[in-house]
Order: sequence, then C-alpha cells, then structure tokens
Amino acid sequence: MMKWLNERLNIDALMASMFEHPVPKRSNFLDYLGFATLFVFISQAVTGILLATKYIPSADGAWASVKNIDSTVIGHCVRSLHSWGANFMIVIVVLHLLRVFYEGAYKKPRELTWVAGAILLLGTIGLSFTGYLLPWDQTGYWATVVGTALTSYMPGIGVYIQDMMRDGSVVTGATLTRFYSVHMLILPAIILLAFGLHFFFVLRQGMSATDELTEAKHRGEDIEKQSLPFWPNVAWRMILTVAVVAIALWVLAGVFPKGLGDAADPLNKAHFIPQPAWYFFGVYQMLKYFHGSMDIVGMVVLPLVFVVVILALPWLDRNPSRLKRKRPVALSVAALIVLGLVFLTYQGMESVPKPLPSGIVAHPSFAANIEPIFQSKCISCHGPGSVYVLDNYKDVTSKNIVPGKPDSSKLILKLEGKIQPQMPLGQTPLKNDQIQTIRNWIIDGAKNN
Amino acid sequence: MQDKKPAKLSRRSFLSLGVGTIGAVVGVSYLGLVGDFLNPPPAGAAPLQEVGKVADFAVNTPTLVSYQGDGIEQGVYVVNLGSEGWIAIDFHCTHLQCGINWVDSVGKFMCPCHGGVYDIKGNVLSGPPPRPLHRRVIQVQGDSVQVGGLST
Repeated sequence: MMKWLNERLNIDALMASMFEHPVPKRSNFLDYLGFATLFVFISQAVTGILLATKYIPSADGAWASVKNIDSTVIGHCVRSLHSWGANFMIVIVVLHLLRVFYEGAYKKPRELTWVAGAILLLGTIGLSFTGYLLPWDQTGYWATVVGTALTSYMPGIGVYIQDMMRDGSVVTGATLTRFYSVHMLILPAIILLAFGLHFFFVLRQGMSATDELTEAKHRGEDIEKQSLPFWPNVAWRMILTVAVVAIALWVLAGVFPKGLGDAADPLNKAHFIPQPAWYFFGVYQMLKYFHGSMDIVGMVVLPLVFVVVILALPWLDRNPSRLKRKRPVALSVAALIVLGLVFLTYQGMESVPKPLPSGIVAHPSFAANIEPIFQSKCISCHGPGSVYVLDNYKDVTSKNIVPGKPDSSKLILKLEGKIQPQMPLGQTPLKNDQIQTIRNWIIDGAKNN
Repeated sequence: MQDKKPAKLSRRSFLSLGVGTIGAVVGVSYLGLVGDFLNPPPAGAAPLQEVGKVADFAVNTPTLVSYQGDGIEQGVYVVNLGSEGWIAIDFHCTHLQCGINWVDSVGKFMCPCHGGVYDIKGNVLSGPPPRPLHRRVIQVQGDSVQVGGLST
C-alpha cells in the first residue's frame, strides 16, 4: 500500500520532511500544547458533529432536543465531552500562547505563525461565545443578551453591529439560527484555514526551539549529542501528552457531566440574573469598575486593544532578542496582565450569587450566613458605586441594624415589608428562614464574625 | 520622424484585464449577498399584534404583556398615560439588557442586575443605564391595543 502511494505521491519525502528532524534535548511538554490543542479541536469536531445530528436549531426545539440528547448515557457523555472540550480549548490555547510568548517564539521569522495562532485564539473565543447560546437555556440566553449588548456601546455603528449579531434588536430564534450557522460553519472554516497556515508555517520553519540546533550546526558543532530525533522520541512524548489531556477530558466529562438549566425564558419570569461562562468573568468583573461615560472603556476600548495587541504583537514588540533576561519589560507587562486577569476572574466568580442554604441558622456568623444573603439578594442594586452601599459589614450595620433588637432594625422592617417599599425591590421577598437567620444574627449582637 | 502609434493592448493584457474585471465583479457580488443576508431587519418592521383591550390597562400602571415575535415571547410594558396617550416600553434595560421590573410600591422600573432605575416613561433616574428605555410601536385602534417592533 505504502509502495503504491509512494510511486504516485512520493509520501516518503513528505514524511521525512515532517518527522525526520532533530529537536533539542531540553524539549518539554509545554512545547506540545499546540499538538494537544489539535487533539481537543478534533474531539470538539467529532462530538459537535454527533450533537448536530440530533440538535434542533430553533427557539421551539433547541432546549427540548438538548434534553433529549441528555436522556441517554451516551448522548449525555457526548454533550459533556463537547462542553468540557470547550473549556479545555480555551485553557490549552491560552497556555500555548503564554508559552510561545515566554519563549519569544513570535519574533522574526515566525510573525505569521503567531498571527495565525492569534486568529485561532479569537476563533476559539468566538466558538465558545456562539456555542453558549445553543442549548437555549436561561444561562446561555441571558449571557448572549448581555454579551451582544456590549457591542452596542461602540460609537456610531454599535447598535447596528449588535442587531446584525442578533438578526434583530432582540435575542430571538433568528439569533439562534445565526449563532448556529456561525458556530457550525463559519468559525470552523476560519479555524481550519488558520490552522492549515499555522501548521504549514511550523513545518516550514521548524519549532523555535530547534533554532539553537541550527546555530550550533552553523558553528560546526556535532548536534547529535544535543538533540533527540523527532521520530520516535519527541513524537512519542507528544502522543503521551495528548493521552494525558484526553484522559483528563474524559474523566472530567464523566465525573462532572454537563447540566442543563431551565429553558430560556425571554420574559425572565424567574428573575434570573445573567452571568457569563467562567472565561469571560474577568471581563464581566472589569466592567464593574467603569461607570457612567467610562462604560465605553471597559466594553469597547479594552477588548479592541486586546484584539489589536494580540494580532500585532510581533510588530509592537520591537525588541529582537528572544532571551528572557533581555526582555524585562515585555515579560513584566505580560505577567501583570495575566495576574490581573486571574484576579479579575476570581473576583468575578466570587461575586456571583451563590445558592443559599435553606433552614434557620440558630447562631449565624456574618461571613458564613449573612453576607451570602446580601451577595445574592442585595448588592446588584446596593453594590460598590451605588447610592446606598450594602456590600460590607460597616455599611450594613451602621445604617440598618440595632444590635440585639431585630424589631427595631430597619433592615428587618424593610425585608418584612413593614416599611415600604419592601426589599429586595421588584423581586421575590426573602424566605422566612432567611429573615429569621438574619434576626438571630441581630439578636446575637450583629457581630462581624 | 516616426508617427506615434497609440499603445496597443496585447491579447494577454486584454485577457488579464477582462478576467480581473469579471473576478472583481463576481467577488463584489458575493460580498453584496453576504451583506444582504447579515443585514438585520429594520427597526419597527415587526407586524403589530393585539396584546389586550383598552380596559385591560389602568391609567399610570405599566402592564407587562408578551409579544410573540421570531419564535419567542418578547416582553413589552404597555403604559396608559391617560391624557398623555399610550406608550409601549421594551423591557430590556439599556445598560446590559437584563429584564426590568415595574415596582408598584415605588412607581419605578428597576433592573435587578446593576440597579438601573427608570420612571414610568422609561427615563433614567439613577444607576448605570446610558439612555432611556427603548420604545416599541403602539397603536390603539378602537378597543384594541396593538404593539409592534422597536420604534425608530
């Protein structure tokens, strides 16, 4: 068979160009993250195609069809793999990007490899964003409402772009159809194209780690001692890395199967509070720091700056050196950005209302029992920057509490509706258990415990 | 002296120019198709639908009605302002488009997400919303109250 192919296509030469080159001995698994991304992308393609055979892309049918997919063990497994795979894609692509940045591998002559990679990153984010809506549950629906609304802050063309994304002014069945086609056809096509180029550039130029061997060869050194052959040594390490990623993906998908929230309710009768996927929590949290006319900075300027910097990095960073000690500014700025994003993501995830435990707590503590109630029910209106701040112990107690006397505390009177308007405004009142827990905390002296 | 002859267009140049022109026209045509398909429907294009009778809407009491459009129920507050007429308010907050609630006890629209507050006509009173609530097309024909897409 190989002989037959060889006679026609000269496969041996192709294989030799791909597999027969030396790689420095210090090569480690961080160099194989690109290969791991390819594996996860293939897994996404396979599971995505399987899901598409049963999914109904309409506002009437989407949620029920996903529920139907989840009703069988295999179906649920495929959807979990796809959902977890989306998270893996984001994590591995970002790690790959950070590794390439750290090594300075985006510099001449590999600028185009970086640009193709940046397109792959943006395409991956696009796939995550469009895929989030497809189950047509409350989480996906309202995240899409808010996510697309951000674009409306662009001066002049913002509302047009928002309406173009939604195919109308509201997120409707037409939006679902649009997102489905972008998720299934347009973005995969862009990603395949960018991946083809990315892979071609890597094959043509070799990984940046091999440059040191080329230089050693030019100096007349024997590179055999400093290197390993790509095939089989390094290739097997890559395969092992992929195997570890694959096992992690399957184990997580099996142990923590993807759930399905309530069906999307565009009237939001249950007062669902939107929240994004975890990888957008950094942006979500950042928006809270820009108020009034500064909104546009968080919603438009910074995301656009991010896109431009990512795409144009090889030309923005004019320092030709790839040595870490000669790139203190670039590495420090990148470290600050990464730390900032991690911190914002953590803060954003922490700020989301957590499910409140039911039952009365006899001797509640502020941190464990009372603050979560405020976080969940009050700070959306009474958060930082609001007229009446209730997001910390001092503000809560100084304005509203008479320690030891719940019936004289304004907080209780407001929560029970004895002073109108009853809180939380426009939402379902607190449960009696929750009010009694707050009463018990006040009876105990309303301590900051 | 030799006569100056006009530069002759070679067959090859003519072919290149022709194919290039045709290619450009076909390319632009595809872009036009893409533009047309991606272009969102104009505001207010949605047909009017009856959402209730005049008697269903007490004066100065916004009532949330649902409007069936593009396969979903869309939320619209119908407000009978008495002598000032009728307005229909889209129920998405203009900050980040969470659904707003009419709170009778304070006579205001409140957004549960970031605390946006609006008056009965949808004007911003406090919070982060950058502009008033969007209006929808509304018509009262005889006894019938009808609501349509966003008004321009």
